[in-house]
This record gives sequence, C-alpha cells and structure tokens, in this order.
Amino acid sequence: MARHLLGIRHLDKDQIEHLLSLAADFKLRIIEDKPVPKLNKQVVGMLFFENSTRTRVSFEQAAHYLSMKTASFSAAGSSMSKGETLKDTILTLRYERLNGLVMRHRMSGTPTLAAHHFGGPVLNAGDGQHEHPTQALGDALTIIERKGDLDGLIVAIVGDVEHSRVARSNAWLLSKMGAEVRFVGPKTLIPAMSSMLPGAVFYDLATGIADADVVITLRLQKERMLEGMLSSIGEYAAMYQVNRDTLKYAQPDCLVMHPGPLNRGIEVDDVAADGERSAITSQVENGVFVRMASLYWAFTETEPKSEMNPAI
Amino acid sequence: MRTLLKNGRILDPSQDLDVVSSLLIEDDQIVGIGDETVRAEVDEMYDCTGMWVCPGLVDPHVHLREPGDEHKETIVTGTQAAAAGGYTTICCMPNTNPPLDSPALIDFILDRAASPEAGGVFVAPVGALTRGMNGEELADLYALKKAGIIAASDEGFPIQNARVMTQAMEFCVQLDLPIMAHCEDTNLTKGGSMNEGAMSAMLGLKGIPRSAEEIAIVRNCLLSLHTGCQLHIMRVSTWGAVEMVRQAKFLGAPVTCEICPMHFTFNDECIGEFDTRFKIQPPLRTQVDIDLLVQGLSDGTIDCIASDHSPHASHEVDVPFEEAPFGSAQLESAVGVTLTMLTHTGILSPLETVNKLSTKPAQILRLDAGTFRSGGSPVAQVCVIDPDCEWTFDRHKTFSKSKNTPFDGMKLRGKTMLTFSGSEIYRDAMFGDDRYVVYS
Repeated sequence: MARHLLGIRHLDKDQIEHLLSLAADFKLRIIEDKPVPKLNKQVVGMLFFENSTRTRVSFEQAAHYLSMKTASFSAAGSSMSKGETLKDTILTLRYERLNGLVMRHRMSGTPTLAAHHFGGPVLNAGDGQHEHPTQALGDALTIIERKGDLDGLIVAIVGDVEHSRVARSNAWLLSKMGAEVRFVGPKTLIPAMSSMLPGAVFYDLATGIADADVVITLRLQKERMLEGMLSSIGEYAAMYQVNRDTLKYAQPDCLVMHPGPLNRGIEVDDVAADGERSAITSQVENGVFVRMASLYWAFTETEPKSEMNPAI
Repeated sequence: MRTLLKNGRILDPSQDLDVVSSLLIEDDQIVGIGDETVRAEVDEMYDCTGMWVCPGLVDPHVHLREPGDEHKETIVTGTQAAAAGGYTTICCMPNTNPPLDSPALIDFILDRAASPEAGGVFVAPVGALTRGMNGEELADLYALKKAGIIAASDEGFPIQNARVMTQAMEFCVQLDLPIMAHCEDTNLTKGGSMNEGAMSAMLGLKGIPRSAEEIAIVRNCLLSLHTGCQLHIMRVSTWGAVEMVRQAKFLGAPVTCEICPMHFTFNDECIGEFDTRFKIQPPLRTQVDIDLLVQGLSDGTIDCIASDHSPHASHEVDVPFEEAPFGSAQLESAVGVTLTMLTHTGILSPLETVNKLSTKPAQILRLDAGTFRSGGSPVAQVCVIDPDCEWTFDRHKTFSKSKNTPFDGMKLRGKTMLTFSGSEIYRDAMFGDDRYVVYS
C-alpha cells in the first residue's frame, strides 16, 4: 500500500532518522553536483488550497531535483470553487493518473481524507493547525548540522502554539528524538490541555527559554488580537519577543529559528533574526532537501502493512 | 383478532411490574397480562420465552428531517427506522427547513406520520420556541400547542439571550408546555468541532469547552427554578452537566435530562484520525465524563435515554472534519447499545432500562405511552426485546436513509424483535419462524 507522510506523530524514531539521513545525503549530492535518483516517470500533484509561497516552491524544487514532473492546482479557479467536494477533487486527480499528491489545506485532517480516496502517496504540506511534517524535518536537519545531535537538547517553541501546525510537528519530532520540548507563550495561545502533546508549558519567556539550546519562534497572526486572545501586539512583543535581551536567558550558543514569514519587531527582532545565532536561512535551504527525502521515501517505498497510519 | 405474547418477561416500570407471564392483545388494545391469558382462544401467538415484553419505547429526541432535508431522512423512513428500533412513540425536532414554527407544519408532520406507508409509530412534534428559531421572538406557541406540539425547543440554535429565555419560560408555564433545551453558550463554541481537551490539542481542531454546556445548563436551570417552567435538558455530555442538574433537582427546579447512547459509549479519543462519524453535538468527552454520566444514569439524575437520531447523507460526512455536520443515525442501534453498555454491565436493571427507554420519557413529556396500564395508551404499544441476542450492527441493513453511524460493525447484545402499535409494525428476521403460530 502507498506510503503517506501525514504527520510526524505517525512516525517512529527509525523512520525519522531514515528520512533525515536521506536528506543529508541528498544535500551533499546536490552541493557536490553528484547524481541523485531520478523519479522521472512520476507526476506529483501540488494541491495548495491555502496560499503558500515558500513551501510550494520548496516542494517544486525538491521534485525537480528528483526529475519528477509537477502538476499544479490551486483552489481558486478550480472546480472546488464551483462547489465540488474535496473527495471528488481527489478522485478526479486519482483517475487522471497522478502518482502522488503534496497537499496544503486550511483544515486539519484533510490529507488523511485525501489518503483515504487517493491511490498513491499523499504528503502533508501543512493542514490547518494539525501538522507540517516537512517543516519539522527541515528544522531537525538544521539543528543536527549545528548541534550534532537532537538527543538531550532543550528546545523552546515560543508563541502561538495553539494555532501552530509547525509547533505540533516540531514537538513530536524533537521529543521522539530525545530532546526536551517546551511550549512558551500566553495562556490564550497555548492549548488548554496539551497533555497529548509532548511538551512542558511555560507562560513566562525567561523561565521557558532558560538554558535552551534552540529557540523556535512562531509567527504571530495579527488576527489573534481581533479575536481577543491578545491585548495588543505591543504587549505581546514586550512579553514574548525573542531578542538580544531575552536571549541572554538561553545558552550562549542558542540557535534562533523561525518557520517564516517573519514579523520583525513582533515575535523576533533583527538582532535575533539576522545574528550569528540565527539558523533561519538554513531552515529554508534544508527544507528543500527534506522534501526531496520525503518524496523519495514516499514514492519509492511502500508500507508492508498499515502500521504507520492505522487510519488508512 | 386476538394476539398472545406468550411467556415473556413482562417489564412495566409504570406498575413496577417484572414477571414472567403472557400478554393478550385484542383488536388493538392490551386486554390482559397474566398466566390466565394463555387459556384464552387466540388467533396468533408469539412465543416470547426468554425475551422482554415491555411498553413500546419512547424516544424524546429524533430528527426526521422532513420538510426540507428529505435526502437525509423522511417521515416515512424515519418512522420505519423507529419501529425497527422498538419505538412506538417518537418526538420529532423542529429544526427542519422551514422550522416547525407554524400550526400548518405541525398538521403536515402529523398527516405524514399517519400515512399508511409510514412506520406506524406515533410522532409527537416538538415545536420551535422562537419564530424561525431566531432566538428573539417567540413562536405562536398557543396555536402550536393546539395543533399538537408536546414541547417547544430551539434545538441546535439555543436562545442566547437570558431575557428571551425567561419570557419563553413564562409563556410556557402559562401554556403548560415543557421546554426542551439544547444547552450551549454559542460564544464559547463558535468554530469548534470536538471536545476541547488533549485530543483536540493534538489534532489541531478547535475545541468545544465543557463550560459552554454547563454555563447554559446552570442558566436554564435557574430560570426554570424561578419561573416554574418545566425544563427538559437534552443530551448531557459532561460530569459537570450532570452535577448541575443534580443541584437543580435538589433545589426543586422542575428539571429533567436525557443522554444519548454515543455519550455513554465513546470518548473523544474515538475520533482517532478525524473520523467524522464521531462528530456530535455536544461533543464526545472523556472517560471521566463517561464514568460520571453512567453514575448519573444509575442514581436517576439522568432521567432517560434519547437516541438523538440525527441522520445525514453519506456525501455530507465524507468531508473535512470541521466541515462535517454533527450527529448520526441512532434509532436502530439504541436498544442494542443501551443493553450492551448499561444493562449487561449491571449498571441498569432490566426494569430500569425499560424505564429510561420508555416509561420515564413518556412521563416527562406527558405522552400516552410507556405503560401497560389500561387507558395509558390509545392503542397497544409493545416492544419485545431479546436481551441476549448477539448481533453485529450492519448499516446497510437499516431502514433509515442515513448510513452514517459509528456503531457499524459493532458487536451488540440485545435486539428489538417485535414492535406493536395496535398491531405488529415490525418483526425482526432473527425472531424465529417457529416462535410465531397462527391458529385458523
């Protein structure tokens, strides 16, 4: 049966390590201009129901490196805008003989629904507030390059954890690999009960990033203020901004990461975002290689049985 | 025409009757219970040995979807499903399209329910509490009552304004009409699709907090206490909800409540990988809630069991979780699930099981049903259940139009075998042919 990448929480440590080592190998080959596998008979559909530039380009670049063809799709101008259900769209793409799908959707769980109805592999490029597995893989590769290992690291994820698929995927991946995960943010933006998510909760930034080896700052959506979850953007920045002053609580060589796009001056300042401790550009670069690894993994290997994704 | 239901376990909670005996129906009336009925000359005989013979079941909470959503269910298919579930009287909810807020619509419902192709069960309509269920102006409740509504409710569009609810209750006191309330503070539930908790945090779905239900229950119970309006709270789902109802009863408020089988069977973890069959309003909660809901059932705080039959078409539920509608088909699984989860586990005695499925809901909503007493019902309403029948629920073998149910494939113990409303309206294929004898 087809192999899907629906979320990090469905993977075990061996599978994560395998994906990361594939990515590191692809990176070396690309940089040294050595041959990489060719999947040139494979057509992957790029289904972006929600706006995305970086993730979409990153997946397309990864597919091109693997000599794959891509078929693009956006919700606007498609039959979805004429009232077609997601299931019927997926079935249409299936019988147009696309080999696999990369999917971004504003609602949690939609890649799971797609995987039910699509014959081939489905890769989650971000679903609602649920998961963004390739972002977490890219972040992990970046941390490993700088720190050597994930095991034993303290990683603070700062900001709007409640609405963040990046936070969830990172928390699963890092904890499965032996890191200590902390969620830091205002109570209104941390899930009310996070006991099924692998992270300790801190409402105070200084305590939350104390001795941290890595700080992942999350993008703050400005509409959270309109929803009453924040008093003001200024107050949020005063309490939770990762900057020169607040980073002094973390380890001196603490990495600063951000999934982008950045709100400079809100969740992060220029010193933190552009300083020598920043790994933000590496995250973007490594995103391509982990997406190559994910495509290769999903398209060339199959699941012996449905143990990874019991729902499928 | 004389029909003998022979040698069953007669369970009538209205008379505290639990005895192995026989029941005789003459024409469309129950004329006797007791061993002497066996000696009567009869035209047909059902051998009910080992089975329960109880008053036809009463469901206070059914969505028949007609008018407006006939692709989900119709009055014909819904009443057939009810008969197959053992029900002889069902209360249909007003959130149709248009809502049941005018006497003409009540006439329509009653006409359709009485048509020969319908399932033969009594349909007791629940009218809209406010016009168009808009939560602002009261519907013409006097005219609706004269047309035949047995209670008023805004169902899934609960009145948010406490002043409007107070006025509605005062009006209903005067009309001697119970209010059935789905309790939800919609400011707290907006955009939510499952219980707010660890599971929603993991799945990245917006949660529905327990406080949204409990706050509305407290408000409605207090208004009931102060106005004296009879209040029936629909499908409680949290331990706090049960505790609030317990307190309201202690204070003397004329309050009752119901639970639906989903809420004592499943918790929010059953949603697993975004399984929309488990999407229900209020949402499935946690195991702690189930344990304390079951305690509330056992001690009588929860008065009765409602199916909350909420049929939807298959294409409507094979969608992203957040887009899926709340609810699923329940009428034909409710008896099996209740016996499996509550009776065979020793939580409810057989008599108390029948009380919660028949007698008590009839008493709460003052329906002529739920009893074998003479004059208690216009015609003989009887349900025969084989409590030990082991079967697997198959959604493709149901009468309901909706095949959307979380109980599909579940092994159940206990099944409705026969339903009578005046005469036989349902006989199950598993009721042995040798158990039915016609004397010519």
